[in-house]
Amino acid sequence: MNAGQQSARRIASQNALSRDTVCISCRHRLASHASRRHASAATAAVAEEPPRTQTNPSNPPVTATGPKKAFQLKCSPVLSRPPVITRELTSFEKAFFLYQKRLNERLALPFTRYFYTKKETPGDIEWKRKRSLRRGTAARDIGAYNAYDDEKWNDEVLVGSKLGDPEDITERLILDAEGKDITEGEPQGDAETGGETISGDARAGEGSQKPVAEVNVERPASRITEADEQNDVKSLNRKLDRSLYLLVQNKDGQWRFPEDRVYGRENLHQAAERILLQAGGINMNTWVLANHPIGHYVNAFKSPILSKILPNRLVRTSRELEQEEYGEKVFFLKSRILAGQADLSQNEYKDKDFSWLAKEEVEKVVSKHYWSQIRNMLTER
Amino acid sequence: MKAPSMALLRAFAPITHSQTLPWTARGCLAQQQKSNFSTTEQRQARDKNRGPKKDPRITQIRYHLYHPLTPRPLRFSRNRALRHWTIHRAWQRYLDEQRKQTERTLERQYNAMSAACEALRLVDAHGLTADERTKIGESNTKEEGRLYRIAMLKTGVWDKVPIEYGRIQTETPPRKGWNHEWTR
Repeated sequence: MNAGQQSARRIASQNALSRDTVCISCRHRLASHASRRHASAATAAVAEEPPRTQTNPSNPPVTATGPKKAFQLKCSPVLSRPPVITRELTSFEKAFFLYQKRLNERLALPFTRYFYTKKETPGDIEWKRKRSLRRGTAARDIGAYNAYDDEKWNDEVLVGSKLGDPEDITERLILDAEGKDITEGEPQGDAETGGETISGDARAGEGSQKPVAEVNVERPASRITEADEQNDVKSLNRKLDRSLYLLVQNKDGQWRFPEDRVYGRENLHQAAERILLQAGGINMNTWVLANHPIGHYVNAFKSPILSKILPNRLVRTSRELEQEEYGEKVFFLKSRILAGQADLSQNEYKDKDFSWLAKEEVEKVVSKHYWSQIRNMLTER
Repeated sequence: MKAPSMALLRAFAPITHSQTLPWTARGCLAQQQKSNFSTTEQRQARDKNRGPKKDPRITQIRYHLYHPLTPRPLRFSRNRALRHWTIHRAWQRYLDEQRKQTERTLERQYNAMSAACEALRLVDAHGLTADERTKIGESNTKEEGRLYRIAMLKTGVWDKVPIEYGRIQTETPPRKGWNHEWTR
């Protein structure tokens, strides 16, 4: 391959294509074309090479005037998993929503029973059975509060009540669907029950009639998953209400987003897609959102590093070059994971470890300098 | 004998008169006004046998939704009204705070993005800006801003948007969880 490429360059330099009249990309394409032709008959190409190189001494090596001074130009896909579930409501939001629901109950018409169920149908009988306990409230999420009886003014919930919680509402809906008693989280007593909890009272009638058959209503999956409990940072089931970012620990032991140089003629978008493949393996369904970077990281080295860059096997236009590097410039491209999982067994950058972290966890693992330049491009949730 | 002149008749005859209408009004003669100018419903005569048959479902809804106390008055005592006002103001402050935070986050992200694009614009193929080139002592530059120009292209950015990206957030997670076993 190497010999083929060199001969291709030599051919290109001999004929008119090497002049400035042909643009670089066209020249590259022609050169790589020639190299492919030579690769098919590699032995012949190698055999006829030595005499020609002697006849063409005017091709100076790249390092003739010392290595090129440069910055490492890198691309880094910020692979994130968007939040799967809605965020947790604050206690104020829960309380306010319940307050609004009860106010709405005060403004709305009373429950019109015969509009929903005909007389003496099972639904109607069920409603009659439950009505006295519920104080005529049809809604299952506002507790026993009737805006049409004498206690209608008493629409505020006591401190510490769990009444407005989404979990509590789900629980009540399920209990109701199963034909069971909706137990109150707080004593909702009035004068008739002597301040006692009115639900669960056998005399009231709701518990007196057993349902005909045992009904099992499927519960929704828990918002807190197994991965949350074990704090499994490799799992994508963790922190479902947050964005998770893929970070890898590179061969120097630093945690960073996966990154690599931009090789040859490729652009940032192509580089990002390639790096995702070469870092995380092929079993990730990813999507690089845009062509432009969402952030950048600049780091100047203390002393310049002389590095020899081998061509990347996935980038056809990349060539071997040597340069003296004074620092690095990393451009981040936003990308999303839609399915699959990262796998470092095929990793080509010798990365040691990976993890999926939320924003505040990213801060803990990355270096301070890195964090100061990436923090603004990461979203809060 | 000389025939009488038609000039007077031509001037005052009704046929010729209608021709002298302005051209914008000629359509009115061709098509007479049939519908009402008003958009309100045409009331039927108060005869039970004559009117169009009413949908029984509408009758039912009207019957059941009738209540003497509509619209219901929401009466608050003085303290209760004050409490309601306090809750309302607290909620408005809370929304303000949320909106501000969202805006700040978006602003930070936008600034990071534009700074990155600007940095990319100034960079040449060797990752050096003009300032850095003079500082380091590198003279020749190559393809300054090439990556930036390619990055600014918007062709085909909407072509490969995956369908999974349209998934909205739900209150509870899917039962199967994340598809870790996906293979290409």
